[in-house]
Amino acid sequence: MTDRRWRTAVGVLALVGLGIASYLTYARYSGGTPYCVAGGGGCETVQRSDYAKVAGIPVAVLGLCGFAALLATAFVSGRTAAAVGVGIAVAGAAFSAWLLYAQLALIDAVCQWCVANDVVIALAAVAAVARLRQSP
Amino acid sequence: MAMPKLTANRVLVVVLLVAAGLAAGLIALSVLGGSDEAKPTTIHGAADTEALLAGIPQQGNVLGKADAPVTLVEYADMQCPFCAQWGLDTFPALVQEYVRAGKVRIVFNGLAFVGPDSLPALQTAVSAGKQGKLWNVTELIFHNQGEENTGWVTDDLLRSIGEAVPGLDAGKMMDGRQSAAVASALADAQGSAQLAGISSTPTFEVGRTGGSMTQLHGALSTGEFRQALDSLLQQ
Repeated sequence: MTDRRWRTAVGVLALVGLGIASYLTYARYSGGTPYCVAGGGGCETVQRSDYAKVAGIPVAVLGLCGFAALLATAFVSGRTAAAVGVGIAVAGAAFSAWLLYAQLALIDAVCQWCVANDVVIALAAVAAVARLRQSP
Repeated sequence: MAMPKLTANRVLVVVLLVAAGLAAGLIALSVLGGSDEAKPTTIHGAADTEALLAGIPQQGNVLGKADAPVTLVEYADMQCPFCAQWGLDTFPALVQEYVRAGKVRIVFNGLAFVGPDSLPALQTAVSAGKQGKLWNVTELIFHNQGEENTGWVTDDLLRSIGEAVPGLDAGKMMDGRQSAAVASALADAQGSAQLAGISSTPTFEVGRTGGSMTQLHGALSTGEFRQALDSLLQQ
């Protein structure tokens, strides 16, 4: 695939992640509960847990900012933007992996929206690395 | 012009190192936040509940003056969302308009059928009733209600609720949950529900104190309760 196609892939994945993170941020600040498609209430448990915030900032807001920044890099051509995209996506994917571990091993509840975001950020990291390697 | 592979890989390595550092920082902050066990649970609605109920007599599961002419009985499960809706929307208006004025007394008959989280929440509220604070605790449980059967009713939450009620000894409330007195009160409420044929919550019975009761079902509006109570008060 060409640089342009990987940029598009990063942009589309960032947009999907931005959508999910927006919903989770809305759910958090509206006092509601993220709707769990398969039921079970895992999202409520995860949202109430101590791991739902980092230094007082809700993880959903961090995700929102991360995906917005990643989306911005997709609109800029060149190696610098590609490198910044890799930094954001890989750091995001690594942090998401930790949060997935926290859900499974520490909170004992899984939020499907968070897992969906984990998949998106992992794919975005792959696309961002590929973009950098193809970068002109 | 395509970047030479070696240079691209070097950039990639540097960026990955930066990303790893950033991720490590975020994870460290997350671990610190997650292991901070001394952090108190935030209890919503404490000030509103205290303002609503301050100065109103409470005797066990009864709120209001013993000689109030009208009695309203509430059957509720602490996990039931419509019970919480009634408790937060309609109950405050009825307390201000009828209970504080000595016109109506409200009796709480708690049931625990929604699931595993129902019983510990109910036992705690009934235990608080031994200190004349049942209604403060039920209101705060409703203010802080989580999704049904997700394990939201933790000892930490219940203790924090107890500590948020002025004049309530939270330790005594927690210790009294398994007492014979609490078990007996729960059995009494269950017996009343069976006698009345209660099959869902919230369900209410309303009538002149000591007289026959009429059932009202669901989280009815304040207006519907006003109509029923005003009609009984005029009798």
